[in-house]
Amino acid sequence: MNLLKLVWAFIRRRPLTWAFNVLTLSTGVAVVLALVLVSQALNDRFQRDLAGVDLVIGAKGSPLQIVLSAVFQMDTPTGNISLEDARRFGASAMVARAVPVSIGDNVKGARIVGTTLDYPKLYGADLAQGRWWGQPMEAVLGASAAQRLGLKPGDSFVGAHGLVGSADLHKRFPYRVVGVLKPTGAVIDRLALTDLASVWNIHEHPDPDEAATDPNHREVTALLIKYRSAMGALMMPRLVAASPNLQPAIPAIESARLFSLLGVGAEVLQGVGAAILGLAAIGFFIALFGAVSQRRRDLALIRALGARSSLLLMIVALEAALLGFAGGIVGVAAGRALAAYAGRVSMAAASGPTLMPPSFGAIDLAAVGAALVLSLAASIGPAIIASRTDPAHELAGG
Amino acid sequence: MLLAVDLKAGRGDKPVARLDMLSVEAGQAALLVGPSGVGKSTLLLALAGLAHTVNGSVHIGRTDVLALRGAALDRFRGRHIGFVFQDIHLLPGLSTLDNLLLSPFAAGVGQDRARARGLLEALGVGDKADRPAERLSRGEAQRAAIARAMLLKPQLILADEPTASLDDASAQAVADLLLDAADQTGAALIIATHDGRIKARIRNQVTVEAIA
Repeated sequence: MNLLKLVWAFIRRRPLTWAFNVLTLSTGVAVVLALVLVSQALNDRFQRDLAGVDLVIGAKGSPLQIVLSAVFQMDTPTGNISLEDARRFGASAMVARAVPVSIGDNVKGARIVGTTLDYPKLYGADLAQGRWWGQPMEAVLGASAAQRLGLKPGDSFVGAHGLVGSADLHKRFPYRVVGVLKPTGAVIDRLALTDLASVWNIHEHPDPDEAATDPNHREVTALLIKYRSAMGALMMPRLVAASPNLQPAIPAIESARLFSLLGVGAEVLQGVGAAILGLAAIGFFIALFGAVSQRRRDLALIRALGARSSLLLMIVALEAALLGFAGGIVGVAAGRALAAYAGRVSMAAASGPTLMPPSFGAIDLAAVGAALVLSLAASIGPAIIASRTDPAHELAGG
Repeated sequence: MLLAVDLKAGRGDKPVARLDMLSVEAGQAALLVGPSGVGKSTLLLALAGLAHTVNGSVHIGRTDVLALRGAALDRFRGRHIGFVFQDIHLLPGLSTLDNLLLSPFAAGVGQDRARARGLLEALGVGDKADRPAERLSRGEAQRAAIARAMLLKPQLILADEPTASLDDASAQAVADLLLDAADQTGAALIIATHDGRIKARIRNQVTVEAIA
């Protein structure tokens, strides 16, 4: 005979009440935890995709759109900038690294990005197979792009015009896969990388029904810049803004803006989660209160058998703690499942960022801890009432 | 063993029942008698220190029960007094054996499982030890409750209307069990009852009077 056995006997007497309350508690925990996990995964994902890029120079237009298109590869670009401008700013003494990107074509939904070998360096991407591209029309595929397209070094593919799958194929200019990257967890995994010249090559010698671009006015879509020093942050955006055709976009600011837009929805859901947790706490309180009044005579008996009143307090607190713990564990499992599902759903939408919730750790323990604290808080009143059970009153039947 | 003199006890602020003198030797039995509702239960509980207001004196062995307070009273009650209630009162969800061991658990003393099983055996319900308490018949549960009262070899066993609503044979059996329990453990047995079948067997009877 021990306290745990005694409390379990009490819990077993009200299985439905407790099942419902544990369910409510675990639902609240699951919703809140899933939100925290997803937003953390989003944040991680954004930080990885940003790869320390300080400034993006694009064609005049929305800076958010420039960051979305050139960094996160999620939107259409605002236009192109001249290679001349890109070279001029890239050569500035304030710039540590400047990476041009040219986008506009895709292979079955995977964006083809014309760039330099500095681009994979931004993400610290290594080759899993093959080699880097050495000449136009050679391509290196990101890990998930290669897997999804079923391509390996030696295979070839044709690009299509536009950023999503289309029938408008550049059939005369097939790419040859020369390498495949290791997974990084960042946007580069979903891309097909090639030399800048490949993109020019295709669009300067188009199919007869398309307009050719002028080899003397070559363009790129955007320039990704990392500063050499803090000086760059002060000077560069103003210099860029002064150019008539150029738009500076600061990824840190734009992604913060994007996050605050997403944040509204997250806040609503968080409110819902908190409300469910509040309801669960009230449910616990009512259930414990009911349990205590239902078993007043049992508690009186335990007192008559010699127990101190503090034991009755502990019985109720332990009952709440056990059920709170159960709710926490179930909630964490459900929250994890929910977050994983959200990650999968966002992966299925090809253009959305793939989400990888942080691995099991402090957050999950905190969630279980919060469920425990909540249930214990709800048990304070009923536990005190239980400890005041008066055996003289309860047992003197007649 | 037990000596109570001019004991008045009540619920709330005012005493509701009294008795002149109650004296029981170890292994012997006495009855608290009186019409139902007169306050027999209240006085019975007062003997164990479980009354709101009480005056007079109660000694169990050399202990002045009414002088004990708080934890000391709880400890004394747990170790030296056994209870058998009218409604038997085993906790459902626990096995019969655990219901017996609830007594040493609550009293904070060692749990002698072998003695608990032995008592159940001796009372004829040894095979029910591991059964959930709610599945026992009334007679079996009553035996288990008596075994629980005997488990810690108390100095005093208090029984509140143990034979109410029992048929004659069962009432006699319960009386036998209680008297044997007192005899075997050397406890003073006090039964609050208005049951004539019990009164016919136990001479030492003290009448409880209501206080107007």
